Amino acid sequence: MLTDAYVTGMGVISAIGRSVGENLHALLHKQSGITAVAAGPGKEAVMAGRVAFDDATLARDLGFSRLPVSRTSLLGMTAALEAWGDNRHIPGLKTGLIASTSVGGMDKSEVFYDDFLAGRPADYGVLVCHDSGTTSETIAEFLGISGYVNTISTACSSGANAIMLGARLLRSGRLDRVLVGGSDALTRFTINGFESLMIYDSEWTRPFDEARKGLNLGEGAAFLLMESEKSFQVTGNRPLGRVRGWGNAADAYHQTASSPEGKGATLAIAEAIRTAGLTPADISYVNAHGTGTPNNDLSESVALKNVFGASVPFFSSTKAFTGHTLAAAGAIEAVYSLLAIKEGMIWPNLNFAEAIRDTGLVPVTEPGKCTVDAVLSNSFGFGGNNSSLVFTL
Amino acid sequence: MKSRVFINGASTISHQPTFGEKGFSGSIARLEKGSEPLQPAYRDYIDPVMLRRMSRILRMGVTSAAQALRQAGVSSPSGIIVGTGLGCLQDTEKFLSNFLTLEGLIPPTAFILSTHNTVAGQISLSLGCHSYNITHTQNTVSFEMALLDGMMRLEESGGDVLVGAADEHIPFLDRLAAEWGYDNSVLTSGVSFFVLSDTASETTLAEVLDVDVFTGAGGDRKKITDSFLARHGLDRNEVDMVLRAGRQPGEDREFEGATVDYTELCGLYPTASGFAFHYGADFLEPAGTNKKVLIVNELNPLNLGLILLKGFEA
Repeated sequence: MLTDAYVTGMGVISAIGRSVGENLHALLHKQSGITAVAAGPGKEAVMAGRVAFDDATLARDLGFSRLPVSRTSLLGMTAALEAWGDNRHIPGLKTGLIASTSVGGMDKSEVFYDDFLAGRPADYGVLVCHDSGTTSETIAEFLGISGYVNTISTACSSGANAIMLGARLLRSGRLDRVLVGGSDALTRFTINGFESLMIYDSEWTRPFDEARKGLNLGEGAAFLLMESEKSFQVTGNRPLGRVRGWGNAADAYHQTASSPEGKGATLAIAEAIRTAGLTPADISYVNAHGTGTPNNDLSESVALKNVFGASVPFFSSTKAFTGHTLAAAGAIEAVYSLLAIKEGMIWPNLNFAEAIRDTGLVPVTEPGKCTVDAVLSNSFGFGGNNSSLVFTL
Repeated sequence: MKSRVFINGASTISHQPTFGEKGFSGSIARLEKGSEPLQPAYRDYIDPVMLRRMSRILRMGVTSAAQALRQAGVSSPSGIIVGTGLGCLQDTEKFLSNFLTLEGLIPPTAFILSTHNTVAGQISLSLGCHSYNITHTQNTVSFEMALLDGMMRLEESGGDVLVGAADEHIPFLDRLAAEWGYDNSVLTSGVSFFVLSDTASETTLAEVLDVDVFTGAGGDRKKITDSFLARHGLDRNEVDMVLRAGRQPGEDREFEGATVDYTELCGLYPTASGFAFHYGADFLEPAGTNKKVLIVNELNPLNLGLILLKGFEA
C-alpha cells in the first residue's frame, strides 16, 4: 500500500501578505503586491513583488538574533514556522526538511562583492550565508529539525521539486513527516540577470496576454507540512489536502528558453496526472507557471493544449500578484492550489486583455466560485527543468 | 521494494589518474600543494561550439557524465541527478562582477550558466534526454543526497540513473579560506559521475548497499554509524576499508580496517565524497564479493554522510 502525502500545515510570506490568511485575502480581492522597487545604486526602480518587512523586522518577529543571516533564510523561517504551527517533535516520527532556493545568501554576497571589488573594507563573515544549503540548515535548526535536511536548486522549478522529493520520501517510508518548500529574496543579481535576458517587463507583467513583455520578479517563501497517514494519526492533525501526483521532465532544448512544442512541459504535466491516478478531464484548475515572458507562456499554452486538447481546464497564473519568486514560486503556488481546493475558488490572472493569437487560450480573470477537486500546478525553470504537481482533497 | 543497486559506470576528473582508469586506488599518492586537476580532452566528448562557453565545472561535468554512460553502454538514463555544494561559482562570480562594474547592457551568458542546475541541464541537453532531472545542494553531503535520490528512483521504477558530484574552484576561495583562517588545504575542483542500475552487467564495479545522511546538531555520530552498519548485519570490525573526511589524525582508531582520508588524495571540495565513492568502487572491483567499504563523510562536522559499498562478482 502506497502512502499518500497529506498536507496538514501551510505557511506563506509574499508581496501579498505575511500569512496564509493575508495571501488569501489579496487573491480574493485582486490586490497585487507588485510595486516600483529600488534596484540598487544608479538604477531605475523596477516593478517587483517585494515583501513589506525589512530583515530586522522579520528577525525580531521570529525572535531570531543570530547574525549574519540571509533574507532568504528569514523569509523561509517565517513561512516554515507558520506551516509547522504548534507541532511538537515526537520520538518515533522521523521528521525532515527540504527547502529550495536559487539565490541562497546572494542578498548578502552581492553587498560583500560590491565592497570587495571597489577595494572598500568588506565583511567576509557574511559569506557563510552564501551557499544554498546553509539556508535550509538555518531554517531547520530554528525549528529544531535535524536528520534529513536537504536543499533542491533547479532554478524556477525548485519549490515544486522539493515538494515532489518530500512526497517520495514519505512514500518510501524514509520519513514520516516533512516540511517542504522554497524561499528566495529579491536580489540585484537576479534583477540584472533577467534584465540582461531582456525578459524583465518594466511595467506590470501580463501573463498569457498577447502583448506580454516579460516577468516581474518577486520574493517570498512558502512551506507545506506533509505527513504520512501513520504520522497524522499520531499528531492528530487534520489533512487539508494531498500531494497526489508529480512529474519532472527535462525539456533538453536550450539552457534558458523553452521548446516551442512544449516538450518537457507536456511530459511533466502528463506524468503528474498519470501518477495521481487521474485523467486530464479530472483536473478542475491549472495554476500555471505563467511568468509573462513571451517564450514561457506560449510554450506552456502549447503544452496545455497537447495534454488537454480542446478542453483546457480553468487556468490562471498568479505571478501578477506576487511577482516571479523563483525557487519559492512552486511552493507559494502549492499553497494557492490547496487554497483553491479548500475555498472552492479559482484565482484570477491579473493584467490580461487579449489571448495569445497562436493558441487562443483565455485564463480566468475574476475570482470564481467553483468545485475544485484536483489542481495541476506547473513550475518550469532554466536548464529545461519542468515539474508539475497534482493536488487533491 | 528495495532493489539491488550496481555501479555499472564510473568516471572522475581529479588531480589523480582517475579518468577512464582502473586500479588507481592501489597506486595513487597524497596530493602535493600546487598540483592541478588532470584535464581530459574535452573535445572528444563535447561539441566545440558548446565547449567554448563552458566554465570548468560544466566541461568536467558533461565529460565525466558522458564517459560514465559510455562505460555502462547507456545512451539515455532514466534520471540525471547531480549534487553540488557550491554550484557554478565561476559564472556566478563573473555575472556579479559584470553587473557591479559594467555600464549599459550586460551580457546574459554568465547569468544563464550561473544556476546550480546548469550541470544537470547541460547533460540533458547534450544527450537529448527528457528524463527526471534534479540538483541537490546540501553543503558537504550534496553527493549523498543525490545518491539517495538515485537509489529511490531505482526502487520506484528501475532502469539506469546517472548520479554525479560536481564542484569547481575559483581563486577567490583561497582568499576566503585565508580570511577565515583555514589554510594548508588544497582547495580544488572535482567531478564524478556514476551509472547506477538495478541490474548487474559485465561492467559492474561494485554494489551500493546503502546511503544515509544526518544533517544538523544533536545526533550521536558513533551511534548513527553503528546502526547504519547494523542494518546490514555488520559491525565496525567487518568493514575492510574506511574512507573518511573531516577527522583529525588519531581519531580514526575506532575502525580496525584500513582508514584513508580521501581528501588527502583528491583535495577539498564540497562533493569530494563523490571521489571516495569512485575510489571505493575501484578498490572493490578486483577484491571480490566479501569485501566492504564504508565512506564516512564529516567534511563539515555538522553534516554526516554514510555510504556502504560491497564487492561484486558476476
